[in-house]
Amino acid sequence: MSFIHVQHLCKRFYVRKKRKNGSLLREKETVDALKDVSFEIEKGELIGYIGPNGAGKSTTVKILSGILTPDAGEVEVGGKVPWKNRKTHVQHIGVVFGQRMQLWWDVPVLDSYSLLKDIYRIPEAAYRQRLNELTEALNLGDLLRTPLRQMSLGQRMRAELCGSLLHQPEILFLDEPTIGLDAVSKLALRSFLKWENREHQTTILLTTHDMEDIAALCSRVMVLGRGQKLYDGSLQNLLHHYDRRRTVEIRYAGPDCMPDLPETVSMQKEGDGFRLTYEPEKLPTAELLSCLQQGGPIRELTVQPQNIDHLIADMYQEMGL
Amino acid sequence: MNTVRLYLRSMGILLKSQMQYPLSFLLQTLAQLIMEGGEMLAVILLVNRFDHLNQWSAGDLYFFFGLMSVTFYITECFGRGITGNFPSMVRTGQLDTLLIRPRGILTQVLCSAVDPRRITCIAVGTFSLALGSGLSQVSWTATNVLLLAESIFCGCWLILGLFLIEAILCIHSVKSVEIANALTYGGRSACQYPVDTFPGSLRTLFTVIAPFALVMHVPASHILGKPIFGWPAWAAWISPLSGILIFIIMVLLFSKAMMYYRSTGS
Repeated sequence: MSFIHVQHLCKRFYVRKKRKNGSLLREKETVDALKDVSFEIEKGELIGYIGPNGAGKSTTVKILSGILTPDAGEVEVGGKVPWKNRKTHVQHIGVVFGQRMQLWWDVPVLDSYSLLKDIYRIPEAAYRQRLNELTEALNLGDLLRTPLRQMSLGQRMRAELCGSLLHQPEILFLDEPTIGLDAVSKLALRSFLKWENREHQTTILLTTHDMEDIAALCSRVMVLGRGQKLYDGSLQNLLHHYDRRRTVEIRYAGPDCMPDLPETVSMQKEGDGFRLTYEPEKLPTAELLSCLQQGGPIRELTVQPQNIDHLIADMYQEMGL
Repeated sequence: MNTVRLYLRSMGILLKSQMQYPLSFLLQTLAQLIMEGGEMLAVILLVNRFDHLNQWSAGDLYFFFGLMSVTFYITECFGRGITGNFPSMVRTGQLDTLLIRPRGILTQVLCSAVDPRRITCIAVGTFSLALGSGLSQVSWTATNVLLLAESIFCGCWLILGLFLIEAILCIHSVKSVEIANALTYGGRSACQYPVDTFPGSLRTLFTVIAPFALVMHVPASHILGKPIFGWPAWAAWISPLSGILIFIIMVLLFSKAMMYYRSTGS
């Protein structure tokens, strides 16, 4: 059996509706956060888990890390059921929530780490070695004596990562780890995750909205929408399937005189030029260009592939999310 | 490494972090002194005007006040994790961060906070206890000391247990702080005075449901030589244990409630 085995996983939440006037009892509404989700993950994989807000990504992570109990389905992580024996299970996993700090706020992070050492019962020697290794990889050296509250968001995220990896977990769950980070911090975080994955064969499951994260890190992507798994495979395949449109930006030398274009092209005026979107399969690029030339001398023209975020938005739309 | 050592280490680190803001700490500690001093002033004014309440003399009343004060603020000081922001941790989903660590939830919650500012409240309480026992001429035999210690010890667990009610309600997504506060803070304010001065329904509430009377008033009245309810001496030793019983019941209810925990936020 694979390292992480999920079969027919279901989780339903009951949400109270707003009280109607005069009624004392509130009606309950059911929300299916996960509907029959199945997947297998092998040891050492680095997997991206994407989907719009409310798709059930966090719920999956919470079930896999033993925080929530599912309503139906089988889950085994490293041969064990996460929610059956929480304490043994969490000894082998690390979780980082992008929007929720786990270290002590007013305490230098080094003190936080030494408390974590006691909480996880890490032997002294192993702790020293691991701490040195992580401090170097995450470039934390100068920050160890700084309390969390004095750190920038990027520094805090690095400190959090170190804290969640001290006990050398076999699996790392990351819930939107790059949220709100600047470009430099994002790049540093990504290269660290790659390093950790390569160096220790740590299995990493990453939920994110940042497609660049996925493109940089993950060979495999799972797409979740409305509680169901919609895609599971390589990112290239996914993009290839939805990457049908191109964008043309054009500026004419003379006054604006856009010729009539086929219906399949959508056009927007932008500054003193135009932005056109078309599908090369329906309208070959050469044909579009010859149409455009009828508008007069062209000063500038660029053809661009679609931005990855647009692509994912198209995909969500096509999947009916 | 055992739980007690983890708790002590956590306390050390938390104290260190509190001392990062020395002035704020000092001012807040003083504020606590004024607050608890004010509470004691109410008792002083009462005995000044009436000099006794039923069979209880001024010294007895100081003794009851001091006992409650010491017990309640020792709990708030060392059990701040549970008496403080535990319910809001449940509400905001911060509890998730404890669930992913290989230790019991309550252990971690207890290890998450300490409130040394309460030291002045404990001092006021101790002063009142000493004053009361002096005025009422309590003889400090070993038995009496032991009984007082038992009462304070069991009282702490009772108060922790009552504070757990709020957390349990929060798991069931009921935000009803007031109900829980009626028993905890309400219990503290009411049971600064011996329970037999209350009307029947309140007496039942604080004897059966939130048994402050069993945990504090029965042994205290015994120490003062005026046994409440006319109970024999052995009852004064047994009845405080009800505080620990309440705590155990609440812990069981809490772990049952955790099965319904649904976490919030992403």
